[in-house]
Amino acid sequence: MFDVALKSAGASVVLASSSDEKYPPENIIDGNSDTFWSSTGLFPQEVVITYTSMMRMSRIEIACYNVKNVMFQYSKDIEPLNFQDLFEKELDSTDGQLQLEEFPVNNVEAQHLRVVIESGHDHFVSIHKLTVNGTAIHG
Amino acid sequence: MRHPKGEWPGVNTLLRAVGDSTVGKSSICQVFHSDNSHFSKNYTMTTGVELLVKLVNIPDSKDKVELYMFDSAGKEIFSELVQKFWEQPSVVMVVYDVTSEVSFSSCAKWLERVRCQKPETKLPGVVVANKTDLDERRIISPKAGMEFAESNGLKYFECSAKEMQNVDAAFYYLANEFYKLYQEKVEIFKTMS
Ligand SMILES: Nc1nc2c(ncn2[C@@H]2O[C@H](COP(=O)(O)OP(=O)(O)OP(=O)(O)O)[C@@H](O)[C@H]2O)c(=O)[nH]1
Ligand SMILES: [Mg+2]
Repeated sequence: MFDVALKSAGASVVLASSSDEKYPPENIIDGNSDTFWSSTGLFPQEVVITYTSMMRMSRIEIACYNVKNVMFQYSKDIEPLNFQDLFEKELDSTDGQLQLEEFPVNNVEAQHLRVVIESGHDHFVSIHKLTVNGTAIHG
Repeated sequence: MRHPKGEWPGVNTLLRAVGDSTVGKSSICQVFHSDNSHFSKNYTMTTGVELLVKLVNIPDSKDKVELYMFDSAGKEIFSELVQKFWEQPSVVMVVYDVTSEVSFSSCAKWLERVRCQKPETKLPGVVVANKTDLDERRIISPKAGMEFAESNGLKYFECSAKEMQNVDAAFYYLANEFYKLYQEKVEIFKTMS
């Protein structure tokens, strides 16, 4: 088991609805929660992460701020298309500290993961870190 | 608001223009959007929400703000339709006609409709007193307009869409305010880990 969404493991961000070069979406998957991706206004916001190969996911962890409604989706296609819902949650506002959330995923197989932030507790939201525990599917 | 990677235009700002019918919301937005080259004397009633997009430069930086101007219907019969578009504006522009007492007294109602959507979120806003070219018919004084603005935490502007006078200032102010808000929030994100 390893973090299949880690940039150093070969994962990449293929789409982001905001990309201020000072706070780029790659900061989500660099394994460091000091660096972050910031949305730059308006909702919904989304980020799509592509794994190096098909992965079997067992747990997703996210560290973010000001996020209200968040939805996770996955795709098994080669291209990041045909996303299916994984789960959805409304997060409470956490004044002055990160929102830390953990979601068990029942061995869902995916090539891409999409995070959709439908609303926020403020105009702007940030994602500091995303971890996806999983294993590569060989064969 | 999807941009291919590497083509981020700047801080994305949703401006909501509200006010009674015929005060000049569409005219103001069109004058600003057309770089002060287009004003229509003929009235075309807005029946829902119209969207205009413009990139605005932030002074003393290479940054830009992408302004989405949602110009909505002032006629009450459309209010239910318009209400659907109310969610999460970034900034608000309340417009009245300086020759109309009714349009001025409606400002509080329009402001409340926008603010009640997200009362806990800071919403930079302006009051725009339009049609200053109709000087002899003017009944709302600058003082009255300023007082209303001040008591509601808004900035006051006067303009004439017809004469294309001072229309831009309110838009630049709002774009700047939202840009500053973004800078502030990012500083807060930095303190977290
Ligand atoms: N004299 C004068 N007329 C103006 C000015 N701005 C707009 N008008 C006129 O006022 C009328 C209404 O303007 P609109 O911009 O359509 O008003 P609106 O607020 O968008 O109205 P709704 O769409 O019904 O909500 C038009 O005939 C405009 O030409 C101005 O600064 N001076
Ligand atoms: Mg109109």
